[in-house]
Formats: sequence, structure tokens, C-alpha cells
Amino acid sequence: MSDIDRAIEQLRACRPIPEHEVRELCHKARELLVEEGNVVTVNAPVMICGDIHGQFHDLMELFRVGGDVPDTNYLFMGDFVDRGFYSLETFLLLLCLKVRYPDRMTLIRGNHESRQITTVYGFYDECLRKYGSANVWRYCCDVFDYLALGAIVLGASNTLPSAPNRDDVEVEVHSSDGRIISRFLGPSESQGRINGGAGSLGDPAGAILCVHGGLSPLIDKVDKIRLIDRKQEVPHEGAMCDLLWSDPDEIDGWGLSPRGAGFLFGADIVKQFNRKNNLSLIARAHQLVMEGFKEMFDASIVTVWSAPNYCYRCGNVAAMLELQEDAGGLGVLARSNGDVNRSDGGLAGGSASWGQSDVSLPTKKKGPGRIYHVFQAAPQDSRGMPAKKPVADYFL
Amino acid sequence: MSHLQKNLAKAKISSARHASMAPPPPPPLLAAFNEVDEDHYGASSGSIPNTPQDDDSSSASSVSSTGTVIPSPGRALFARPQGFPNRSLDPIPWTTYFERELFLPSPDGSITYHAYLTSPAPAAAPGKPPAGPLFVMHHGAGSSGLSFAVLGAEVRKRLPAAGILSLDARGHGLTRVEKVGKGRTREGHGQDGDDDDDDEKREEVLDLSLPTLAADLRAVLTLTQEAMRWPALPPVLLVGHSLGGAVVTEFASSLARSSPFAPSTRPTGLPMFSGTRPCPPPPPPAPTITTTTTSPATTTTTTTPASAGPPSPIDLLGYAVLDVVEGSALEALQSMHAYLASRPGGFDSLRDAVEWHVRSRTVRNAISARASVPGLLVHRDEGAEREEEGAAAAAAAAAATAAAEEEESIHEPVRVRGGSGGGGRRNGKPWRWRTDLAKTQPFWEGWFSGLSKKFLTGRGGKLLLLAGTDRLDTELTIGQMQGKYALQVFPEAGHFIHEDLPEKTATVLVDFYRRNDRSALVLPPKVSELLAQGKKV
Repeated sequence: MSDIDRAIEQLRACRPIPEHEVRELCHKARELLVEEGNVVTVNAPVMICGDIHGQFHDLMELFRVGGDVPDTNYLFMGDFVDRGFYSLETFLLLLCLKVRYPDRMTLIRGNHESRQITTVYGFYDECLRKYGSANVWRYCCDVFDYLALGAIVLGASNTLPSAPNRDDVEVEVHSSDGRIISRFLGPSESQGRINGGAGSLGDPAGAILCVHGGLSPLIDKVDKIRLIDRKQEVPHEGAMCDLLWSDPDEIDGWGLSPRGAGFLFGADIVKQFNRKNNLSLIARAHQLVMEGFKEMFDASIVTVWSAPNYCYRCGNVAAMLELQEDAGGLGVLARSNGDVNRSDGGLAGGSASWGQSDVSLPTKKKGPGRIYHVFQAAPQDSRGMPAKKPVADYFL
Repeated sequence: MSHLQKNLAKAKISSARHASMAPPPPPPLLAAFNEVDEDHYGASSGSIPNTPQDDDSSSASSVSSTGTVIPSPGRALFARPQGFPNRSLDPIPWTTYFERELFLPSPDGSITYHAYLTSPAPAAAPGKPPAGPLFVMHHGAGSSGLSFAVLGAEVRKRLPAAGILSLDARGHGLTRVEKVGKGRTREGHGQDGDDDDDDEKREEVLDLSLPTLAADLRAVLTLTQEAMRWPALPPVLLVGHSLGGAVVTEFASSLARSSPFAPSTRPTGLPMFSGTRPCPPPPPPAPTITTTTTSPATTTTTTTPASAGPPSPIDLLGYAVLDVVEGSALEALQSMHAYLASRPGGFDSLRDAVEWHVRSRTVRNAISARASVPGLLVHRDEGAEREEEGAAAAAAAAAATAAAEEEESIHEPVRVRGGSGGGGRRNGKPWRWRTDLAKTQPFWEGWFSGLSKKFLTGRGGKLLLLAGTDRLDTELTIGQMQGKYALQVFPEAGHFIHEDLPEKTATVLVDFYRRNDRSALVLPPKVSELLAQGKKV
């Protein structure tokens, strides 16, 4: 058994690995990540997950429901650390899996993968508590700087295997034991075109963009993301900050994000972006959704949240998004970690011209078939939760 | 603020011992620094009262005092070194930090509000409201407008156009309720309230409920506008600490409720709100407004036009709440009496009081404590005796003295129940708490219930500044992770974040203002606008 396998075993048992191993691991991870472009290309099938926030036992539940690595191909959209009590084990395990199975595990950066944020929201303190020094925190932060900013999923199927004859079913929700809870029709049937075409949908057969937060007014093409110099602390403003901080909202155009960083963006922005970039969907995380996932703007963007009962008290369920392989055999493309073979417009739908305003829409347009696996928090008893904090020493 | 800088510089050059010669500006700081005190200080406390940045050894967490162990070396990782321990404990007068103080009688004469003001940058053209934004500060229960003295100066350093308006809530500072309850007018010179009955009667009547306090805030804004003869209020940014946070939130949400504009689909807010929930009754003719400026003998008396129209609309940019969250505040109420009982009932001098605040780490920044603590206390004997004894504090208490002759009634010092340090009033220490917090208990729950919801649903920018992430309740945890407001956490600060870390707090507030300053905000065009211009998208 190699060192890395042993480390994985130990971390799966929720026991931290020694400091020198962390250093080595982080070093290897950096070597691997530096080769990746800012936007990683991933082929379906893939399981797309949102925020984890150090909830290690819930991550184990996620693997139980979604399948183990490397049997399942995973894409995590950031925010691995902070808030939960096991940020360290969570992040190191994901990193070990990345190093061990680089083609089956994709990690992109969230706004919590930052020095400034982790000092306030728990990861820094946790490292200090578990190792007595901040070295491990430093190693991890160095890895954060190398994480990709986004991913493009290619070759996702438009049909769902459970309903091969039902072309109209586009979304399925599965419970954690694999039962189908509900099915939805795609939005395309009933939906009229908004604003006389102002907000047409993207390419239904196009790729799926995954990013932690959302869009940026400085980014109108996916290719512009590739130009960012990402190997740095998350800045307070600019394109890189926006990708990690922005939120979609029911507004027209752009708005100010109440978070104090990033922007709000409306349906028109998303649809325009998707069309320009031949995307069928944007998958993002960053916002707590009580139901685990939330599709917005005629299913042009979806929020996926994977931390059940967030902070051990919010009472929400979690979800991950499964995209299946297209039967058309497009999955044969070699995975690319770099800029080679990057999105050429989503292959299948590549004939639709870039950014043209008058795409003739197919009569039946469908996004990728989406299976949402919804799951609950892991049972409470298995975890040694720190004692309840004392009451704050308040004045009035 | 120049005073503060000088002070800091001086402290750096010489060691703290020389700080006695410190505050250059005027007032008669009679009680020169005295080494005995300092020794006593060190001996009794066993620790040196520093600004929080100097303290990286003990647990700097906000909850450290309640026993949570959080390892913290280097916790203040990104903190800039701020100042030097300044051992002087002499009070610093408000004139160091504010341009003027305002006594604003309400139109019906029931209350005279007191507030400190530094004016915003003047209007670009006559007839326009002042150009700079106005930061309106509301302190917490038991505190006073001077709590924001140092913060206000720091804000002005970063944003010189900004104005600062820091008011004293009723029952606090120098705001004086003339008539309380059922029309009783209290004017008790020399009453000194020696009998308990008297106390009890008083305690029934002071209305500190949230709507009243929010109404007071509205009234102070209107009256300040009149007193300063601003044609309209400049853009306003509300800042509230603790109870004050609840007040500004109530105020902001009452604006939102009464606003005729479409509700919350636009979290960024709409430019103008017109508050129609203004509480002051319509102003009767000609109330007198007295403005005392710090420049010698410029007391102006303005007469407002008879019954001005409806209160002018308020351009609310946003509101910032400092260290108060519904869930944890309600939880903390249980232990509030124990906490109050553990406070000293009185102090021998203002210097003692400053020392206690710093030593107990209630306020962890000595400079801010020197500015704010004197406002919390009142001398047992009004009038003449105060002037003699309070010489040491004369500077800081100048304002208080000015009002002393009339001052009595509500602010009359009251016994702190179970106060350990105090003993009875007669043989107790001369300086006593101006506000009896124990008596405000009937209002406690009302202050905080529903706060989280109101905070999330009000319009305008929202900023929550906490001394620890563990203070968030479930509702605000969800709200935060849904991106509904901005959260800043300063784990190295205590409850009085703005006093402990005035520089960092000011930086955050100024950033908050800049972000929400609609005059400067330019967003990229909407798709529909581009289409209207015939562009392809």
C-alpha cells in the first residue's frame, strides 16, 4: 500500500495525517494543479458538488450516496473548509483523492479557499488546534492559490436513462437510497421567449460551466477566465473575485452584491452569457439552498449545495448534480487539464455560431438531463462535536 | 483627531510614562498624571491594559471572558499595529473628536435630545444638502454618544467629507426627558432621590421601547437638519452598536415598510425612502434649538419655521450593526443580571472608572475608554459639589456640567442592585452609572426579538460587524450563506468593537459606504438597454 493510499485510509477514518505528510501532499498537489488551466475540462459522466464546509461526516455520506472515488467522477465547486469542525480532514482527504486519482476528481476554488477568510471562519484555528502551529494552514493556503477557477463539462447526455422514451423529462430528483422522488419536465415546453429574444437560452446541447460563485461583468467569454493570473490570494475585486463571490438574483442586469464583494446578476445576463459561449447551463454553489439545489432563469443556472444541516443547525438538505454520459460516444475525448482541447463550443452543438443573435431554436430544446441526488446530514452520534459554546458575554 | 495622532506619536517616542503631558488641546486636566496611580494600576490588575493588538498572548476571542479556549497566537494576523499602550487614564474631552454638540428640544417639549456632530462636507451649491454622507451613530444600552468618538474621528481620517452624528438615547448621556409618563414633570433640584419610593416611581415611566427609540432617532435627524439649516439631509448611513443596532434596524425597516416603492426584489435598494412613520408629533411653532459649538461663545439660537411640512425623506444608503444578533443576545439576557451585579456600583473618580473599563477589558482601547467612559457616569451630587470634586474630569465632563443645573430626574444616579463595589448610596463612591441598566429589563426582550428578520428584510446595504462568528444565530447564518448581507468578524475585539478597534472598524465602514454610494456606482448596462440601442447581444 502506497503512502498516499495509507493517508487516504487514515483520513477516511477522520484522523489527520502528520505534518510532514501534509507538506508532501500539498507539494504534490501543487505540481499537479499548476498544470491545470483556469478552466478545467471535464467529461461526463460527472457528479457535481457544492459547498462542503468542513462537514466531514456529511462528505462521507455524500460519497456513500454518490459512489466512491474512483468509481464516480467528482467535481467539487469549492468551499471545502471553514465553519464545520473537520475542515482539515475534509480538505486533505479531497486533496489526497485528487493526487491519487487526478482524472476522477476535480477541485475548483471557492471564496473560502483564501487566507483572509479562513483566519476568521475557522480553518486557521482548527489547524492551530490540531497541529499546534500554523504550518499546515500555510501549506493548504498555498494549494488554494493553485486551484482552478472553473470547469467545463462536455458530453453530457440530454436524456435520462430511467426515462429513455420520455424525451420531455429533463430533471429527476433521487433520494439518498436511489429512489426517484420526482421528475420534472424541461422548462422549454411552456416557456416563451422572453423580451422578444433578449434572453434566449443558450445552446441546449452545449457545455456546462461550473464555477463557485457566478459571472463577472469583466468576463463575457469563458476564454477570458483563462487569461486570469489565478495563482494568488483571492483579490477584493476584479474578475477573479467576482467568479468566486457573485450571486444570481431576480434583477435586470447587474446589481451590487450585499455580500460586500462580487455582483448580483440577472436572467438576461445569464442567458446572454450562455448563448455567447454555447453553454447549456451554469452550475454554481456559494449560496445555501434549503432544498439542496435550485434552478433559476429557465434552468439556465443552478445552485448546488452539498452541506446538509449547514453549521449543524440550519436544517437544510444537501444535493449533488449528476450529469450522465451522452450515448453518442462523445466521451472518448481525452481529459485535458490544460488549455489544449478546450471548449470548442460544446462539440455536439458546435454548429451554432458564436454569439450570433438570431439562432434558430430547435423546436424541442432541452438542457442536459439532470439528476439531483438529495441527501441528509449523517447521523449525529458518530461525531465528537466540541462542547457547546458558552453564552456570549454581552452588554445590552 | 490630530490630538490622537500626536498622542500616539508621543507614546511611541517616549514610553507611556510621559504620557501625562499628553493631550495638548485645551481643557484643564487638573489631575496630572500620577505615578502612584500607575503603580497601583499594574499591581492591582496584574496585566497591562493595552490596545487589543498588543495582546496576542491571551485568548483574544470575543468570548474569552466566558472561558472558551481558542488558541490565538497570531490571531490578529492581518491586524495593523495600532498605537501604543497609553497609560494615561485621564478623560479626553469630546471636543477632541466632535465639532459641536447639539441640544435639540423636541417640538412638544417633552424631551431635549443631545447629540454630537461633526458636519459633513458642505453643499456644492446653495440650496442643496451637504455633499458628504452623514454617519448616524446609535450607541448601546448603558453607553453614550461618546462611544463613537474615536471611531468618528477615524472615519473622518479616511473619508474627510463624511459627517458624524452621534446621539445620546433617552435615559443616556445628556439627553433629557422633561416630562415622563403621565405628564409628570420632574424637576428635582437637590432631591437626590434618597428614598426608594422615589426611585420606584421613576422606574415606571421611562419608555425605552424600540419604537420609541427609533422615533427618537428620526426626530434627532429632523431636528439636526433644522438646527444646521440643511435644505435636506445628506445621504445617511446608520451605525448602531448593540441596542443601537436594534434601533437602527428598526428604523431602517420602518422606512422600508412605509415606503411606497416596490419591495425587496431589489436588495440594492432604491434611492429615496420617505419615512412616513416619523414619530415626532407635528412641530408646533418655533421650538428653540440651541447649538453649542466648540468655538468659543458661538451659541446660536435658531427658530424653525412654524410647523414645517412632513419630515424630509431620508436617503438611506445602508445600515451597519455592531455586535448584536437576536439569537445570542436573547440567550445572553439570562446572565445579564449577574453581569450587572458584578460591575462596581460606583467609582471614586472618572479616572478610576476609565481604569476599571480598561482593566476589565470591557473597553480594550485605553484612548477610546478615556473618551467614552466619562459620559457613562454622573456625580452623586449635582451642581456645585460636582464642580469641585470633578475638577479632574472637568474637561471631559464639561458638557455634563453645562447641563448639570437642569440635570436631574431620569439620569439621576441610581443604585445598581447587588453592586458589589458600591455599598449604599450615602457612603458609596461619588461617581455612579448614569443609566441603571437593571431597570431597563422590561424592554430587553422587545429590543432583540425579531431583530434578525428585520435586519434581513430592511432595504439598503447591510453590514454586520461581529466580535466572533459564533454569535450568529440560525437565521443570520442562513442569510449570510445566501449572501443577503456583508459580514465582518473581528475576533480580537470585545463587545465594544468600535472602541476596541476604531481603525479597522472605520476602514470597514468607509468601504461599506463607498460600495453603497449610489452617486459613484456605475454598473454595466442591462441587456435590454443594449437591445434598445440596437446593439447585438
